[in-house]
Amino acid sequence: MLIIRRLTQQPIVLALPALLILAAVFGAPIVQLFFKSFNLPSFSLVNYQAFFFQPANVRVLYQTVEMSLTATGICLLLGYPTAYLISTARTSVRVVLIVLVVIPYLTSSLARTYAWIVILGDHGLINNFLIDNGFISDPLPLIYNRFAVYLGMVYIMLPVMILPMVSVMVGIDRSLMAAAQSMGASSFTSFWRVFFPLSLPGVRSGCLLVFVLCLGFYITPAALGGLRDTMLSNFIYAEVSTSFNIPRVAASAFILLAVAFAMLWIVGLDLSGSHGLPGQSPKDERGRAAALIGRLLRSLSEYLISHRSKRWKSRRFRPERSGRMPEVAGAMFLASMISFLVIPGIIIVVMSFSDANYFQFPPAALSLRWYYQFFGDPSWDGALLASFQIGVAVTAIATVAGTLAAYGLARAHSTVRAAITMFMLMPITLPAIVVGIATYLGLLNFGLLGSKLGIILAHSIGGVAYAMVIVSATLANFDRRLERAAMSMMAGPFRTFRRISLPLILPGVLGGAVFAFIHSFDEVVITSLVSGLSIRTLPLKMWENIRHQIDPTVAAASSLLIVLAMIWLVAIYAAWWRTTSRTQRIAAEAQN
Amino acid sequence: MGISGSFAADGETKTKSVPAQIEFRNVTKMYGQIAAVRELSLVVHRGEFVTVLGPSGSGKTTTLMLLAGFEAPNSGEIFIGGNSVAAVPSYRRDQGIVFQSYALFPHLTVRRNLEFPLEMRGMKANERAARVEQILRRVHLSDYGDRMPFQLSGGQQQRVALARGLIADPPILLLDEPLGALDRNLREQMQGEIKGLHKEFGTTTVCVTHDQEEALTLSDRIVVMRGGMIEQTDTPEALYDRPATKFVANFLGEANILDETNFPLEANGQPPEGTVAMIRPERVRLLGRAIPARVDAVQRQTVKVVVEEMIYAGPLRKYRVRIGNQVLVLREHVAAGQETFERGDEVHLDWLHSDMRYVRV
Repeated sequence: MLIIRRLTQQPIVLALPALLILAAVFGAPIVQLFFKSFNLPSFSLVNYQAFFFQPANVRVLYQTVEMSLTATGICLLLGYPTAYLISTARTSVRVVLIVLVVIPYLTSSLARTYAWIVILGDHGLINNFLIDNGFISDPLPLIYNRFAVYLGMVYIMLPVMILPMVSVMVGIDRSLMAAAQSMGASSFTSFWRVFFPLSLPGVRSGCLLVFVLCLGFYITPAALGGLRDTMLSNFIYAEVSTSFNIPRVAASAFILLAVAFAMLWIVGLDLSGSHGLPGQSPKDERGRAAALIGRLLRSLSEYLISHRSKRWKSRRFRPERSGRMPEVAGAMFLASMISFLVIPGIIIVVMSFSDANYFQFPPAALSLRWYYQFFGDPSWDGALLASFQIGVAVTAIATVAGTLAAYGLARAHSTVRAAITMFMLMPITLPAIVVGIATYLGLLNFGLLGSKLGIILAHSIGGVAYAMVIVSATLANFDRRLERAAMSMMAGPFRTFRRISLPLILPGVLGGAVFAFIHSFDEVVITSLVSGLSIRTLPLKMWENIRHQIDPTVAAASSLLIVLAMIWLVAIYAAWWRTTSRTQRIAAEAQN
Repeated sequence: MGISGSFAADGETKTKSVPAQIEFRNVTKMYGQIAAVRELSLVVHRGEFVTVLGPSGSGKTTTLMLLAGFEAPNSGEIFIGGNSVAAVPSYRRDQGIVFQSYALFPHLTVRRNLEFPLEMRGMKANERAARVEQILRRVHLSDYGDRMPFQLSGGQQQRVALARGLIADPPILLLDEPLGALDRNLREQMQGEIKGLHKEFGTTTVCVTHDQEEALTLSDRIVVMRGGMIEQTDTPEALYDRPATKFVANFLGEANILDETNFPLEANGQPPEGTVAMIRPERVRLLGRAIPARVDAVQRQTVKVVVEEMIYAGPLRKYRVRIGNQVLVLREHVAAGQETFERGDEVHLDWLHSDMRYVRV
């Protein structure tokens, strides 16, 4: 009895609901998949050999890594200066810019991919414009090639790259650059030697997120790419839909996972989110490699030292006329990046009011016919309703289980916490196709394939992860002495939670709920694997429509999703910033 | 021999720099319609330690930012060592700055922080290393070279910041509220440290602070600013003992402004136009009922007052006494056998006419 009571008093018990769902739907099946990939119990490598002996497969694997790296690289090249310019803007301007980055981030990636079909397609905006004006007679091959895939990937991933970098850059103390300049560092040197190293944690998280998500890309290459632009997810998906040979599929999935983990190891991701401090004594090879690069850079800069010495002497107290060119160039770059992020959405919204059966921009006549079509057609209505039902159920499960888990983990031992957090984040950090296949197997075990409950469970594991991450972030700033104070006033643990802790972490809980809903409402890859064609959610219906018949009803649906993203933004703002600023204000007053 | 001497021996890289004279000539800095600094003219002599003192919004920080090259004046000129620095960016002014928040680079070790200004000036690695060791010894942080800034205490960070400001032996050193973030004991210790370093390096130093005690202990001269303009410039002693204006009298230490209606001041002659009489609390003695006959009575002023409050403050007793409609603050060191007074006691104030000052309103 005593043992049981001890056990139930362990805070980690709170994480059990979340862990049980995850273990049943994802954890156990992925282990099962791993065994199957080796044909256990009779161990064999035949499935892996089958994969690698097909040159086409190896090409797809290589291509997946290559495309992910390229897209990440482009995102970094465009995203870093954008994030820098956003972080240096005046506070009021900065808020607007961040909103303009967040809205696409919250918009369904299906809707955003659709925008590029509309723009690049053979009968899309650009080709129609060029043909109508007589510049060309045949449409340019803008779509169904590598270029279009990169454009789509970068467009979707750019906010994911920018946001973590902005959050790090905003936190960098500007007086450090002033200090460097006062010691003789030019604007560039003070950036390169001080700002840039301090911004690296943001660069790292941005690149990791983008790269891992790119590895799992399915929709964009399928919608915008040609036959030669297949990525591993498309390959696995095709394998699944043609012959459900589980051991083969499992082997492909683990190869994709191995690539993901190898890359994570190289850049050194601690999935639990505790970043190592810069300059910490290098412990492993990676640290040693970083130290080596550091030494290399330093010895390079040592070569320049005599040049520096001469320059210092000749330029000491020399006046310098500073032009406005860099500012103008920066503003123009920022404007073009923001336009790139925002304009496709605007085009979709405008198109959705078009009267025509084909893409015409600007539309010759405005009408609401595609909205009537959307709300009048039972198959669209049904999909919308199903998505909402599933989304609400997922939000409820994810919020409760995720909050409890975050609350329990915050009190657990740090190694336990790190391990469990990493496990719980897998549904959103692993490529979606891998999660989908594991979930497929998990639901198959329970006979829930093609049921609403099945889809709810499949979405819940990702939803829980989002809710847990966001609540954990809020809990990090939560002063546990408040709970002790409440307990000293005779409040039991439950009442303490309900009356003290919950109201204080409520913004995080609501933010987590929004993200859990968005996750469920936008999910395509996992859903299409587990829905068994019997249940159609809105994204599935849209995806089907995009692939088979391109009529502007999808534009209406996408516009509604863009509006929904704005509603979410307002909701998050209301839940998060207002409440936190209120609590901060109260806290500040309490201190005075 | 100080480290500056041995640095000079390196010869090749950099000869020992001579402290520079700083001059502000009619400098005005506007923020929109508001002049943060108005028609400021000031000369800081070679090797001098000058503190700019003032309340927040007085323009003292703007003055420092202009000198550091982070802001450009709207009109007027600034000279450092004879060079007009109007269009010289911060990174071409040979200066050391100790920032209020220290601004130690969080991603670099103490050693690399200290090397930074030397590297920017093109000093070779082995010379830099030797120089860093010297200055670390000087600020008693020899064992801390490989620490990261966040692993140091506040006082240690402050010393690294000072060392970083001085390591390249710049002709001028700027201190922005250098001791603001430290607790009281540490602050006194660091005051001594700064004084010692200034003596050793002889660098022309401009310090900005709102802390009058800091200003009084550290400076050769103090510039009191108010509303973007200089109120008074003088040595600490002169400023304290002979403030020119009521503002300076009140800002540096405590001052009792004597209302003519309560005091027969004519004994001292008519006060000049536009001035009031002021006396420092510690210049006034409190006497019991019995007023001893004095030979110098003619040089003294005696008034009868009522004690309103006695505040015990360790070695001091502070009194608030009332005369007519006015309350004065007095301070007495507790000495053996000295009379103390309680609320309601009638006492006599006694001071020398020569200790009273007429200050401009």
